[in-house]
Amino acid sequence: MDFFAQNLKCLQEQDPELAKRVSSCSFPNDINVIRSKDGLPVPQIAGVTLHSQYRPFEEGEKTTINFTFDQNRKTIVFGLGFGYHIQALLKKQLGSVTVVEPFMSVFRAFMTCMDIRSFLPRVRFRIGETPACLLSRLEKDKWNVFKHLPSIRIGENYYKRLDEGMKVRSLLDQRTLRVMVINPVYGGSLPTARHCSGALKNMGHEVATVDCEAFEQGFFSLKKVTNNKKKSEILSQNFMNFMGEIAAAKATEFQPDLILALAQAPLTPDAIQKLRALKVPVAFWFVEDFRILPYWNEIANSYDHIFTLQDGDFHDELKSKEVRDCYYLPQACFSDIHKPLTDENSHAYRADVSFMGAAYHNRVQSFPRLMDLDFKIWGQGWNLDTPLGRQVQNNNKRISTEESVKIYNAAKINLNLHSSSYHYGINPDGDFINPRTFEISACRSFQLVDNRKDLARMFKVGEEIISFDSLDQMRDQIDYYLIRPEERYTIALKSYNRVLNEHTMEHRMQELLIHVFLDRRSNLDSMDENERDPLAYCIEQAGENTELGQYLKQFKGQYPFSLKMVIDKIHQGEGSLDDKESIFLMMNQILKEDV
Amino acid sequence: MAKNILILSMTRMGDMIQTTPLIKGLKKKHPNSKITILVTSDFANVVPLIPDVDDSIVIDFKQFGITENWKDQSWVKIYRYLEGCLERIKSSGYDLLVNLSHSKFSALMVGFLGVKNVVGFHCNGFGDRQTGHPWMQYFGIEVFNRTYNEFNLVEIFSGSGGVDVKGRKIEVVRPQSQSSVSKLIHGNDLLIGFQAGSSIEGRRWSTQSFAKLADMLIEKTNAKIIMLGVKSESKVAEEVINNTKNKNRISNLTGKTNLSQLAEVLEKCKYLVTNDTGTMHLAAALGTKILGLFFAHAHPYETAPFSPGHLIFQAGISCAPCSYGVHCSNIVCVEKVQPEHLLSAIENHILTQSWILPETINEDSEINVYETIFDNNSNFRLRSLVRHKIELDDLIRSCYTILWRVALEEKTYIDNFMVNSICENLLEEYDCSNLKLIDEQLIKKNLILKNISKLAQAGKNICSKIIKESPNSNENFEKIGQYGDQITDIDKKIEVMGLSNPEVKPLTDMFNKRKENIEGNNLCSMSAETRKFYGNLMSECELLREALQNCLKKLSDLQSCYISHNSINVAVPGR
Repeated sequence: MDFFAQNLKCLQEQDPELAKRVSSCSFPNDINVIRSKDGLPVPQIAGVTLHSQYRPFEEGEKTTINFTFDQNRKTIVFGLGFGYHIQALLKKQLGSVTVVEPFMSVFRAFMTCMDIRSFLPRVRFRIGETPACLLSRLEKDKWNVFKHLPSIRIGENYYKRLDEGMKVRSLLDQRTLRVMVINPVYGGSLPTARHCSGALKNMGHEVATVDCEAFEQGFFSLKKVTNNKKKSEILSQNFMNFMGEIAAAKATEFQPDLILALAQAPLTPDAIQKLRALKVPVAFWFVEDFRILPYWNEIANSYDHIFTLQDGDFHDELKSKEVRDCYYLPQACFSDIHKPLTDENSHAYRADVSFMGAAYHNRVQSFPRLMDLDFKIWGQGWNLDTPLGRQVQNNNKRISTEESVKIYNAAKINLNLHSSSYHYGINPDGDFINPRTFEISACRSFQLVDNRKDLARMFKVGEEIISFDSLDQMRDQIDYYLIRPEERYTIALKSYNRVLNEHTMEHRMQELLIHVFLDRRSNLDSMDENERDPLAYCIEQAGENTELGQYLKQFKGQYPFSLKMVIDKIHQGEGSLDDKESIFLMMNQILKEDV
Repeated sequence: MAKNILILSMTRMGDMIQTTPLIKGLKKKHPNSKITILVTSDFANVVPLIPDVDDSIVIDFKQFGITENWKDQSWVKIYRYLEGCLERIKSSGYDLLVNLSHSKFSALMVGFLGVKNVVGFHCNGFGDRQTGHPWMQYFGIEVFNRTYNEFNLVEIFSGSGGVDVKGRKIEVVRPQSQSSVSKLIHGNDLLIGFQAGSSIEGRRWSTQSFAKLADMLIEKTNAKIIMLGVKSESKVAEEVINNTKNKNRISNLTGKTNLSQLAEVLEKCKYLVTNDTGTMHLAAALGTKILGLFFAHAHPYETAPFSPGHLIFQAGISCAPCSYGVHCSNIVCVEKVQPEHLLSAIENHILTQSWILPETINEDSEINVYETIFDNNSNFRLRSLVRHKIELDDLIRSCYTILWRVALEEKTYIDNFMVNSICENLLEEYDCSNLKLIDEQLIKKNLILKNISKLAQAGKNICSKIIKESPNSNENFEKIGQYGDQITDIDKKIEVMGLSNPEVKPLTDMFNKRKENIEGNNLCSMSAETRKFYGNLMSECELLREALQNCLKKLSDLQSCYISHNSINVAVPGR
């Protein structure tokens, strides 16, 4: 019997993105399905039979009989096959199981030959995902891992990397990396750069930033120096070289373990080479649309790793240029800032419908149809002299990240229309998701977003997030959800949980680090373990129950802990210094060699 | 009378030797006291050289291997070490603490130890550095106003400890035993020590100059040259020797002597040619004649060897010495002083036992040459041997010396004897033919001083109003706030006056420095203190004006006698 159509329907309910992916595959030619003695389907791949040819179900029970699992940990199964071992595990234990399978072809054959209803809803399938992605998004707790050995044999390389990834993740948890983040001079990727730094710090790593934005005024002043294009290019080039020298100087001093440049970071190929000469990985996160900003062409080959918001065509192009490595890494929220606000003076921000963003062509064209609503626009570049300009609340002044959080929190509906410079309304080919999508969700706020190809990769569309494909649908959805606060709340809550579980900047940075160090575990091995959690080390040195140990405990949760943090705290304090504080200040002087 | 005195001296060797007059003075003031000196491990070996010290405490931070990029999280070890040291010191019951270190660390330490009587920098309960004694306040402003300072650090520090160092010089405990090193030096050779290194490279005379001088001294005076210094200076010494022709007359003892042996060798040397170093101060304390070379930041007025009879060379260019905080990338000052200048000075000294200006130096040479002397009042000073044309700054510098001797000792009037003595010195050491020009320049400066006085008077008046209103400060909150704003405004104007007129900046800086010491939250007493400081500023403006006026008048009188005296000679050359 062919279960595919029936299974697909079931899967669409639980994991529409996976359903979509598997529906685009045809039954694989390299998988041969045979019947066991007891008449059950058994897959054969490259000469390996994945289950018993006699009684696969009984075999599944036997192989799992000695598998002990910790009730408090999550069970992960490496290898899907046709799932006989999984059914046995589901019988043995309560709760859910995550199944990791590298090959979509195996999943397609499974979907055709087995009735998925005996697996759903307790099984979550993670098919064809990179080890870094899996390891960063799955909960950090240690897992009960069940290995389906025949599957491991056919996916040997993948599982080896997954094993390696687990070791890397564990080392990353124990080590303090020194990461140098190179910010752009200006633009939309600047907040992302800051969120990267913040997330890395939250993860316990030491971060130094090259604050190129401090040179923004100089950069724009240079642009005004001459109208002669050639001369202007020379000046720009010199500026870029200068910024490269700054980054190199900072790197030489900071001695990072990893250098991360964000899109628009002012680095020439020469500057990148200088950084690579330090023998540390140099990564680039291109948080832009590769079709709109093609400058990646000139620098892609220089980096060790390029992380992108888009895969597919972009990765094909990158690979054709023989880049060292490219990896899909979507945007995320930074939950330190993007969070629900409980009590704030939000009156000015309250609206039925809000939009926060710049006046791109498609937005200017689309939004007049909402002018009969309580509709507020926040952002830059809007023509204030047009009727739509009356909806603009901030007089085109820059909105800080903190203010945008207030806006998201105070709106009943946040409209999130991805930008386009030439579409009338919605870009039908839009693929990547803007950071705003994650940020609004992280505020536990409700949003309506135009449909993007990647949206289903991140959210259960229709359940965790509501999307529209046309402007008419957008208007209908606004009208529908405006009068249904409970539905808005339910969806926003689910969306919120999803982003906190999978789409924070900490998840992205973890994924990036695992990917970068997957082939560099020795770098992590050689680091001094004492560097991990300096606070715990210092408390241990001081003696946990001593006065000093107790004093240091107040810094728990503040990363990365350093003597400077204590000194800053003392300087910010009020009143007379006590003995401890005096000694800290003296010690600070000793370390500054002021004695 | 103190019984148990602790002296914090976490400085370098030279600084420690420069504190010997103060320590001696303290012992005299508190004859039954026990004096303990606290030093860092780097200079613990200097302690036996310091007279009148009964005990010592050594703090050793070196054991932790702290380097520039020290990132060891085991700072807890340092914390515990420091905690232990401090507790031990605290339990020793000191009743007087004298801090001769300038660092914030030492100031915090003083704050921590909580000794009742403190001299020198200290921190209040909030960790703010305070200066206390007027001489210490002066030290705080001096580095930023070097052009107008004539006081040696010995005098400044001694003053802050209430010790008068008139006629008193630096001393060390002389070495007792004849060590193997000094036995290496035989016979009746004329021994001349060379200290070619220094802690800061930019302050060094070139090795070529040292080499050339060595050759000339050997050839002209048959001297034997002893290269001195610590091990890290061996390379510099070798460079000097490699550049000389008479290597057999040069002994290289760099890195081969401990401090006591160094003292023995220095005692045997007739002269020491040296950059501004600890060795220089040690030699001066032992009585060896110094030819000191002061370059870059080294400032003879501050750190010349504090005993009479030494010779100091310094470039006479407008940027010398470097201002505080300047990193000079073009140290031209070292090239101004030539080996021939030193040779000539030594040759003359051998013949006459006095320092005579080398013939090749005149008022147009870009060189200052000073002899260290005690003046008629037994005050230590530098006598300029080059007769430069007097400039307004020279007069103002001398007048500041008069002013601070009055103000910092809380006297109220200018001693005419001091004015006369200073004017005689100026006339002797400077070409004073341009006094008219200086007189004209002074008109503007007097105006500035008057304006500052006016501002200070206005500030004083507002303080009086606040004092009057303060009992009802709750009711007059707004009014007092307005007064506060007015005071802020006046103080800003005073500060700007100082910044835009360097000649008066020592006064405005001193005013600010005093204000830093205001503590507490009692509006009335704070205002009273502020009012006192405005008063100080007014009287100091007045004193400076008076000093300038008196000096100029005296100089003019003396100058006219000098001219008429010279005229007689010119008119009747045959007499």
